[in-house]
Amino acid sequence: MQLYKLSLILITIALASGSCSKFLDRPPQGQLSKSDVFTNDSNIVALNNGIYTLIGDGNFMGGRVQFISDMLADQLDGSNLQGDFSEIYKRQNSIFGGTRDDMYKKAYLVITTANNILENIDAVSADHRGYIKGQSLFFRGMAHFELVRLFAQPYGYSSDNSQPGIPLRVSASLNSIPRSTVKQVYDQVIADLKSADSLLPADAGDGGKFYTATKWIAEAYLAKVYFQQNDFANAFKYADQVINSNKFQLDADFTSRFSLGLTKEAILRLANQVGHFQPGSEYINNWRSDTKPPVLYFTSQFYSYATSDPADRRLTWFSNTIKPGFNSLTKYNFNFMEEPITHLTEIYLIRAEAGAELGGANLATSITDINQILTRAYGGTSHNLSPASSASAVISVVRTQRELEMIGEGNRLQEIKRIGARTGTNIDRRGSPWTCNGFILQFPKAEQDANASFQLNPEGGCF
Amino acid sequence: MRKKRLLARTPVLLCMLLATLFSYAQNKTVTGKVTDAKDGSPLAGVSIVPKGSAKGTTSGVDGSFRITVPAATRTLIFSSIGFGSKQIDLSGDVIDVQLSATNTAMNEVIVVGYGTQRKREVTGAISRVGGDKISEIPVPSFEAALEGRAPGVQVISGNGLAGSGSVIRIRGVGSISASGDPLYVVDGVPIIADPFIRTNSGAMNQNPLSSINPNDIESIEILKDAGATGIYGSRGANGVVLITTKRGKSGTPQFSYSNKLGIATYTKKQDFVDGPQWLQLRQEAWMNDGHTGLATLPNNIPWAVASQTNTNWWDLLTQKGFINDHSLSMSAGTSKLKTFANLTYSNDQGYLKKNAYTRMGVRLNMDYNVLSNLKISLTSAYNRGINRRVHAAWDGGIGDAMSSALPIYPAYNATHSDYYRGYTNPVIALNEYQRRQTDSRVLGGLAVEYQPIHNLFVRANYSLEYTRSNDDQFNGPQLDTSIHSGYAQRSPNWGTNQTGNITANYLWNPGEMHKFNFLLGVEAQDYRRKGYTKDPIVDYTNKPFWENPGDYKRVRDSLLSAPAPMTELAQEMFTFNSFFGRINYTFHDKYSLQVIGRVDGSSKFGTNHKHGFFPAVSAAWNISDESFMKNITPISYLKLRASYGVVGNANFGSGLYYDKYTLGANSYVGRQTLYYNYPGNPDLQWETLHNVDAAAEFGLFNNRLTGEIAYYYKTTSNLILKPGLPPSTGFTDSYRNLPNSKILNQGLEISANLKVIEEKDLKWSVGGNIARNQNKVLKYELGPDAVSGGTNDTRIVKGLPVGVNYLVRFHGVDPSDGLPIWLDKNGKETKTFSLDHRTYVGAVQPDYFGGFNTNLQYKGFELSSLFTFVIGGNIYENSGKYQFLGVSKKFWNFRKDFLDRWTKPGDVSKYPRLVADVASYPGVPSEDQFNSTMFLRSASYLRMRELTIAYRVPRAALKKLFFKDFRVFATGTNLLTFSKYPGGDPEITRDFENSQDRNLSPNISYLTAPTQKTFVFGINANF
Repeated sequence: MQLYKLSLILITIALASGSCSKFLDRPPQGQLSKSDVFTNDSNIVALNNGIYTLIGDGNFMGGRVQFISDMLADQLDGSNLQGDFSEIYKRQNSIFGGTRDDMYKKAYLVITTANNILENIDAVSADHRGYIKGQSLFFRGMAHFELVRLFAQPYGYSSDNSQPGIPLRVSASLNSIPRSTVKQVYDQVIADLKSADSLLPADAGDGGKFYTATKWIAEAYLAKVYFQQNDFANAFKYADQVINSNKFQLDADFTSRFSLGLTKEAILRLANQVGHFQPGSEYINNWRSDTKPPVLYFTSQFYSYATSDPADRRLTWFSNTIKPGFNSLTKYNFNFMEEPITHLTEIYLIRAEAGAELGGANLATSITDINQILTRAYGGTSHNLSPASSASAVISVVRTQRELEMIGEGNRLQEIKRIGARTGTNIDRRGSPWTCNGFILQFPKAEQDANASFQLNPEGGCF
Repeated sequence: MRKKRLLARTPVLLCMLLATLFSYAQNKTVTGKVTDAKDGSPLAGVSIVPKGSAKGTTSGVDGSFRITVPAATRTLIFSSIGFGSKQIDLSGDVIDVQLSATNTAMNEVIVVGYGTQRKREVTGAISRVGGDKISEIPVPSFEAALEGRAPGVQVISGNGLAGSGSVIRIRGVGSISASGDPLYVVDGVPIIADPFIRTNSGAMNQNPLSSINPNDIESIEILKDAGATGIYGSRGANGVVLITTKRGKSGTPQFSYSNKLGIATYTKKQDFVDGPQWLQLRQEAWMNDGHTGLATLPNNIPWAVASQTNTNWWDLLTQKGFINDHSLSMSAGTSKLKTFANLTYSNDQGYLKKNAYTRMGVRLNMDYNVLSNLKISLTSAYNRGINRRVHAAWDGGIGDAMSSALPIYPAYNATHSDYYRGYTNPVIALNEYQRRQTDSRVLGGLAVEYQPIHNLFVRANYSLEYTRSNDDQFNGPQLDTSIHSGYAQRSPNWGTNQTGNITANYLWNPGEMHKFNFLLGVEAQDYRRKGYTKDPIVDYTNKPFWENPGDYKRVRDSLLSAPAPMTELAQEMFTFNSFFGRINYTFHDKYSLQVIGRVDGSSKFGTNHKHGFFPAVSAAWNISDESFMKNITPISYLKLRASYGVVGNANFGSGLYYDKYTLGANSYVGRQTLYYNYPGNPDLQWETLHNVDAAAEFGLFNNRLTGEIAYYYKTTSNLILKPGLPPSTGFTDSYRNLPNSKILNQGLEISANLKVIEEKDLKWSVGGNIARNQNKVLKYELGPDAVSGGTNDTRIVKGLPVGVNYLVRFHGVDPSDGLPIWLDKNGKETKTFSLDHRTYVGAVQPDYFGGFNTNLQYKGFELSSLFTFVIGGNIYENSGKYQFLGVSKKFWNFRKDFLDRWTKPGDVSKYPRLVADVASYPGVPSEDQFNSTMFLRSASYLRMRELTIAYRVPRAALKKLFFKDFRVFATGTNLLTFSKYPGGDPEITRDFENSQDRNLSPNISYLTAPTQKTFVFGINANF
């Protein structure tokens, strides 16, 4: 009897625990698995939507790439910066540093996510497969381009551009891969952007807001890439196409570009949604000068240069009184912003400079373009160039205007390098040669720890 | 599949065992129970034979026996090794027998997993610490009281924050990313002890153990080797801490009341220069860098204000805390029902203003003998810990006082009408910020123990641990002047931990010489902790939520019923399903052999490795019972034991083998977002530990000198690593088992206790333990910087211990220019700093650690003390480097010991010239990279952990009084510390980022609040 009872108990336990396969399965709640994602069209679309927020995230294009570039350039007074900000500013970025590492990782997360989508693109329903694919290719191309400019010596550093670039990731994998050459990276970037151009629509379908990628952002990036390569014919061609799309207009007011919803210049504009995604946080955190002393501010030398012309309407971007003792930028004195990822002003400046470089009939276009910029800047035609101006005079004015127009947008660093590669001259106000080691960032040490043969950048050598 | 076969066999096996029992013929049956005369604990394995016969039986694990003897039998002989023998004349069918121990050391009852054993039979390495030692001193959390008490058990006590947890390492650390913490088991139930449930919020790890009531604890057994932890299979690798709570004892109701009243302060603090001196040093640094004029000051604070100010922030933030601790318990028992009940209240204010830990506890443990062969046991407790928290370390508060709250900053404006704002001012948060973390734990268990036949015990146990934690914060209107209302927030979570097990224990004695004890068991555990999808829950209101529960409820309910409602979400879920067995075989009462096997399946293990099998074998030889030892009189007890086994470490998070794609809480232009957050790994499994232990336990000179010497050799392979992916994958972390990885822990432990004087009125004993652990990473293939502890400079490097300091070597100061001289990798002097010069210069793990104690009793007086010590190992002052750079643009407090600096050519100094920018030392990239041996210290210390003076009122004097026993005492903890460490308290438990940080970076200080020093007095009264 007792034996029987005992057996019964034990058998009951055995049966109860028989369904252990379920009992031992506790998938994390609130998470989807890879198979959940790539068997469901709306999940893939959501993954694609998420990339916009990764780009506008503070760690990547929401200010990080831009202010790292500005710290490396020659307009800031960095004497009070600390930690890795100070290292970057001093052009002696070392193997450690969260500011850089987080940016690097975020940019590659964009690439990895895009690769994941591209590898499973057949799971996307046919009616928007091309659109999703085009976006992923654009994201991948853009992220590789932004990284290669920061972590590798610039295009034109060597005649065949065989200098080491960055790990070029065109498939999703957790393995270490070596750095491709700068040429290989640019070739892939151009190929991705061209494919994106052919796949993306001409209109974002949101009433001209351009909150999502169109063929025009792919072409704007192609213009930027070719311009960085000093390939003026192609840069002119793509800038010209973007301008001639007539989808975008220059803003009349200089406070519009980073405002909440007022700009007409943005080729791609990252949307701000209250209580949801809000882009551009690192612009605001580092530059903002009305509510707190700014982290980043200009040298007195640059400040007086930039504010020397009282007619310049862009003086609205500067103040040395809003926080006494700081030569502040006021461009980002907002709580929130909508962030243009490339704007028409830059495209005009590309077409203007590329046109002047090309000469011939294009020089006239170039002069018209720069005069548009000058007229807006100085509230009239007083500063405009005559139609008979020489190409070199035009180029000089365009470069000056580019620096002033794109102040605080991380543009100057790449100009120092592009012009260095173009003419061999060093325009750096701090006096460093454009090729010096410290002008590019060091790779996160983790790349080498995962694979001892990973090639780090040489450090130092800049002023 | 394996487990199913095992299960299918279980009944068969048992049936076979049972069948053997029915072959006996019978005349007359006698039943009863054998207990220890000393404490009434049941005696198992007592041999019971009718006088004049050779055929008998033995008592079961609960001491009960049943014997069938010829009707003519008059006398039974009860005998057990270590207890002598006793003849009992039969007068009825039921007899209870008490035996007195002849050798107490050998017969102590030791709690082992799923049962108890006498010390002489134990084949594994187990250290026992009695409950009196746990409740004796005021500690932030009970586990801190284990410090110095058990050999090989390294306890780094919690820091000065009330309720903070300790780091416990049993025989070293063998993990990198997986936790190195032991498994905590309370009355047979593995409890939740994860210190990272709230990550590192506010620079403190929530310590779930702090709510456990030290006054409830009867004993703590620390299981150290595979012979002991093998029964816990995949969770035995880091050792197991078994906590047994008090239960009712037979007899009339006994009440006991004890209290502690006293004060708390800090052990050793860091000393900083005052305001005028700080300014002077700032100016010196400014001039050293070639600047002229007055130095710039942080955020351009005017010199006029700075030079008029001399704020002592430490004094503004600290106090003499009040300790107030009461415990009332009751124990009562009849043969049917035994009850233990306890009520506890304690409040430890700590030395930080506004910081306090309040613990309330109720316990009721009951044992009810329904029938002679059926017992029901209830174990239940409710504990509630309320931690009134303050900012600390990197999060502010006392951390600010040691870092960026400079003495040149005022706390208040000139008219005292408002705080001085815009500069670090921890007084604002002290007054305007409140944080209260409440952790409640209900632990209830019901066990049914049934003895269907003689010598077979079936026990079914179900336990429920329910935890609820609320982390409340409140910002007063003064904290953020743009919000005038105040801001309340609460982050709640609640967890249920259910454990059920059934064990069958069968004793089989085929003949006099052989004794078998078979244990078979199944166990299932299911844990889930939930919170809300929106966390924390917030409201703009003028009161904290705990003062206004209605408001919290309103906000929460509105979120729960919103159009896109907040929902409950499991933050963590895991299950274990286990089958285990143990066979103990004793031959001749001298040779013991134990074989253990456990199969563990867990939801934590990846789909490719759902189950693991963990075997262990161990043996013991009581040499002193051999006839050839009988003549060696100095040796009263000698036992050799050895074990080998394979156990696992499954102490890592849940659901880590899944790919994680997370739906975004934020949409993009109103469109759903989704993120690829974590790459999974279906191969994820436990870490594997191969564990060898060999030891001698001895008692000499009539057990005046007792002790143990143990050696162990443990290798952990299949190491779990979280970080180290190339970041160009978009990820740095994915939990995975590293192929070709191995960590060694090998060591020696010695413990001894000597009764120097053992007279009626005068007793004096000294005891101590010391352990040496050699820790070494034997196999590892990643680069030196792939894994680091938190934000600190410890590393994993092949051939070196876990958590090595990897730093540039500082070689001294050049007297001509005051610049630092470094050594490059090859040991060559250089004045240019470079991260390439980094090398392995130290380790955070000590060479030796332990404790020694002495106890002197004269009549009713008692003087006892405990010292703890650490020899070897290093402390790295991660915040020290910034404090040294305090008068550079880092703008931190400057420590007085750094005043030994270079000021002019020819100076021979310990520290280099002060600089306004660290880059003035050639090659230093930034403050953050200024890591060198300049801030590496010796970790050795000796600490008077406890000093107690007590007086017990003689029983004769008590007779007229109400009391049965009355003792008054005064206790001081951490009264004295001997150390060369310049950074204050050398016992450092920092706030940790994660388990890896906890493994790699004990002894890395970052503005860590020094440990408490306390003085209490109190009474223990029984009535």
